[in-house]
Amino acid sequence: MQRPSPQAVIAASLFAFALIAASVASFAETPQPVAYSHRIHVTDNKIDCRFCHSSANKSASARIPPVEKCMSCHRVIATDRPEIKKIAQYWREKKPIYWNRVTELPDYVYFPHMRMVNAGVPCLTCHPGMDRADGAVQKREFTMGWCMDCHKKRGVSIDCWTCHI
Amino acid sequence: MKRRDFLKLGGATAFAALFGGCDNLPKKLVPFVIPPENYTLGESLWYASVCRQCPAGCGIVVRVSEGRAKKIEGNPLHPVNSGKLCARGQAGLQALYHPERLGRPLKLSGPRGSGKFTETSWEDALSILMTGLKKIRAEAPGSLLMLAEPMRGHRNLVVHRFLRAFGAPAPVAWDPFGHDALLAANEDVFGIRDIPEYDIANARYLLSFSGDFLETWLSPVHYGRAYGRMRQERPTVRGKFVHFGPRLSMTAANADVFLPIAPGTEGFAALGIAHVMVREKLTPSPAASSLWTAGLRQMTPETVGEKTGLRPSDIEAVAREFAGNQPGLAIAGDGAAGCTNGTFHFSAAALLNVLAGNLGKPGGLSFPDRRSAFPRAGADASTLAPLPESGFASVRNTLEKMRGGAFQVALLSGETNPAFTLPAGLKFPESLLSVPLVVSFSSFLDETSSLSDLVLPVPTYLEEWGDDIAPAGHSGDAVGLLQPVIEPFRDARPMPDILIAAAKELGGPVAAALPWKNFRECLEQGYTGMGVNLENARREGGIFSRKGSLSRTAKRAGNPPLPKAIEASYEGDAARYPLVLHVYPSIALSDGRGANLSWLQEMPDPISTAVWRNWVEVHPKTAESLGIADGDGVVVTSPFGSMEAFAVLHPAVAKGTAAMPLGQGHTRYGRNAAGRGGNPFSLLPVKDTAGAKSHARQSTRVSIAKARIKGKLVRTVNVEGQWKYENIL
Repeated sequence: MQRPSPQAVIAASLFAFALIAASVASFAETPQPVAYSHRIHVTDNKIDCRFCHSSANKSASARIPPVEKCMSCHRVIATDRPEIKKIAQYWREKKPIYWNRVTELPDYVYFPHMRMVNAGVPCLTCHPGMDRADGAVQKREFTMGWCMDCHKKRGVSIDCWTCHI
Repeated sequence: MKRRDFLKLGGATAFAALFGGCDNLPKKLVPFVIPPENYTLGESLWYASVCRQCPAGCGIVVRVSEGRAKKIEGNPLHPVNSGKLCARGQAGLQALYHPERLGRPLKLSGPRGSGKFTETSWEDALSILMTGLKKIRAEAPGSLLMLAEPMRGHRNLVVHRFLRAFGAPAPVAWDPFGHDALLAANEDVFGIRDIPEYDIANARYLLSFSGDFLETWLSPVHYGRAYGRMRQERPTVRGKFVHFGPRLSMTAANADVFLPIAPGTEGFAALGIAHVMVREKLTPSPAASSLWTAGLRQMTPETVGEKTGLRPSDIEAVAREFAGNQPGLAIAGDGAAGCTNGTFHFSAAALLNVLAGNLGKPGGLSFPDRRSAFPRAGADASTLAPLPESGFASVRNTLEKMRGGAFQVALLSGETNPAFTLPAGLKFPESLLSVPLVVSFSSFLDETSSLSDLVLPVPTYLEEWGDDIAPAGHSGDAVGLLQPVIEPFRDARPMPDILIAAAKELGGPVAAALPWKNFRECLEQGYTGMGVNLENARREGGIFSRKGSLSRTAKRAGNPPLPKAIEASYEGDAARYPLVLHVYPSIALSDGRGANLSWLQEMPDPISTAVWRNWVEVHPKTAESLGIADGDGVVVTSPFGSMEAFAVLHPAVAKGTAAMPLGQGHTRYGRNAAGRGGNPFSLLPVKDTAGAKSHARQSTRVSIAKARIKGKLVRTVNVEGQWKYENIL
C-alpha cells in the first residue's frame, strides 16, 4: 500500500478542521430579532409544541406562529418585559417578524411533519433539547443514515421515494 | 473509520464549506401578522363563488393555498355551468394578480383626460367624494349620475337605494352586448319580456340564426354543455345542428350544416322555413293559417333565396327536417342582434318555435320566473334580478343631458368601458369631461377611468361579497353567492361598501335607506330574511333548490303576429364603401374587457388562429378584387372613422363582407392591451336597432385599402396542417 502524499494529508486535515468548525457553527444558537425562549414556554409553562406550531399534524411544514398568536397571550401576560414590548411593536406596525432559520433540510428531501407527528413520533426525537433551549437550536444533524436507522427500527418504509420525491 | 471514508467525509465537508458559504440567499422565516382564516401550509381549500368575467354568472370554485388563489374551476353544483368553465373564467386569476391593478386611490395631477394621476390616501380621496356629494345634496340632488355595467343582486339594490334616497336618477347601465332585441322579440311573439331558457340538451334539431351560443352569446358555457348533451347524451338520437350566418364562427364550424347567408338576412331565412312548414302543413300550430294570410305566403323559398343567397332547395330541406324532428329549437344570437332589423331576426326565430309547438316542453323553450328567488323582496325584486338590457337609449339621452350641463357629479363603476365601446359619434369623452367631478370605482386604469378626477380602487370579484342571478341555466330560484376567496392584498374597497359609508356620512333619508354596517351585512340580512341558511349556501356557492316548475305562461303563444319583415340598412355610400362591416364579440376579449390579460391575448382565435393582434376577415374573391393578400396590413375606413388591421382571407365569410372581432385597439388599458391594432367600435355609427333601442353595430359599410402597418399578424400553427384557402375553393 502506498503512503498518502503530504499534500493529501494536509488537505484531509483541513477538511477535518472544516468539518468540526461547521458542526460547531450549526449547533450554536442563532441570534433572533426577538429573544424567544422555548424553555420558558415549554418547560416552565408546559405549553404543547403544537399550540404554536399548529400545522405540525396537518401539513408538511410545522408552521411558524403568526404575530397574532404571540399577541393572543401577550396582550395581558408579561407585557412589561422588553422582548414582549418588541413583539407588541411589530403588532402595532402590522409587520411580520423575520425569524432566522435554524433547522433546514436540503431541497431534495421531502419531510412531511404531519406523517411523523400523526405516527406518534415525539417532537423532541428530532429536535432534542429544544424544550430547554433559550432560543432555537439544532442539536441533531439530519443525516440520511440517522433517518434510515429510525425508519428501520420502526419498521416503516425505507424506499428511496419515501423522502426523495 | 477507514481512510476512504475519512476522505469522502472531508470532501463533503469542504464542498459544504465552500458552496454553503456562497449562499447569500436570506434564510428568513416570515410568518403572517394575521393569518387568513383556516390557513394551513401546503393545504388547499376550495371556495365556491361566482365568475364575473362576463354576465353569464357561472359558478366557480377557487383553489386557495397559503392564502393565495391558485386555480379557478367550474362549480359542479351550479346549474349554469355544472362544473365547466371557459377560458375567460380561468383567466380571472390574472385580473387578481395583475401588476397594473390599482392599489391606492388616484387623484388627477394633470388636466382632465390626460391620464396623469398621483396616489393619495383613502381619507383624502373619500373627502373629495364626500365634498362633491354634500355640495349637490342640498341644491341639486338630481345632478348625481351613476354609470355602470348592468348590475344584479344586492349590489344593484345598494346602488338603486342610494340614488333614490339621494334624489338622483336611476343608474345608467351600459352593456354593448345587451339582449334588447331578444327581449323585444319575446314580448312581440310570446307576450313575455324576458330571456327564455333554451333546452338545447333535449332538442333533436337545432336551428341557429347567427346565434354563436358556443362562444359569447348569453351563456356560452351553459349552452356549450347543453349542446354536448344534445349530441351525445341520448343512446339513439344525435341531435342535428344547422347554422345560418354570414361568417364561419366557431359555433358555425361545429354545426352539421353551415349555410352562409348575406349579413342582416337571418330573419328572412327563418320566415322562408316557416313558409315551407305552413305550406306543406308540417305544423300543428293553430297560428299557421292566420300567419299565412298575414303575409307569410309571400316568403317563398325563391324570394328568400334571392335575399339571403341560399338555394331554395336548402330552405325546403331544412324546413322539412326541422318539422320532422321534434322537439326542434330555433335560436337567434349576437350576429343578428346588432343589425338595424335585429328585432325582426329574433321575432322570426321565435315564430319558428311557435310553429314547432315548442313552448314549455322538454327540448323547447320556457320562461323561468327569475324573480321568484326573492319571494319577500317585494318592490326590490326587480332590482335584484333586472332584465339584461344594453341601455343604449338611456346612455344616449344621458350624454345629451350631460352636454347640457345637467350633471355635477358622475360615478363610474364596473367592467363597462363606455369610452371604448360607444361609437365615437356619441362623443362620450367630451361629454364626460364637461362634468365637474367624475369619480371612478375601478381596478384598472382604462379609457373611461382615465377621464375621471378620482379613481377609487375596488377589489376584483375574487375578493368581494355579492350575489348573482344568472340570465340562463335554471328554473328561476337559483342564486349564486360571491364570497372573498382570499384576503384583499391591495388597498381596495368594494363599491357597495363605499356607498354605504357615504350614506352614513350624508345622514338623513340616505342613511336610512342603507341601514347596514357594510355590504356583507346587507347580503346576510337579505338572505336570512328569506329563510336561507347562509353557511350552507356559501359552501355550495349559492342556493340551487329546484321546487318544480316556476315557468310563466306565455300570454300570446297560441297566436303570434307575423313579424314585420324589415331590410337591414347600412350607413355609407356603396360605391365608396363597398363592404358591409360585420363585427362580433371576441371569444377571448369580449368587448375588450379581457384585453389586459395576457392569457386571453395569447389564446388563439378558434377560426383564424390569430393571437395578440386585430384583423379583418374577407372573402378571397373580395380580397382579390381589392388587391389584398393574406396577412397584408390594411386600413379599414367607415364614414365614421378608420383603423388599422391585418387581412385574414377566409373562404367562409360572405362575399362583400368585412368581419372583425371586437375587443382590441385599447389606448389606455395597460401594456398587454396596447399597440394591438385599431378599435372596431370606432368605425360604428350611432344607430338604433328598430323596435329595441339597442346599438345597431352591424349597420355600416366600410372600405379596405392596403397600407403599411407596424408588426405582423401572428397565427398559431394549425394542428390539422397548414390549410390554404385555394384548396378549399
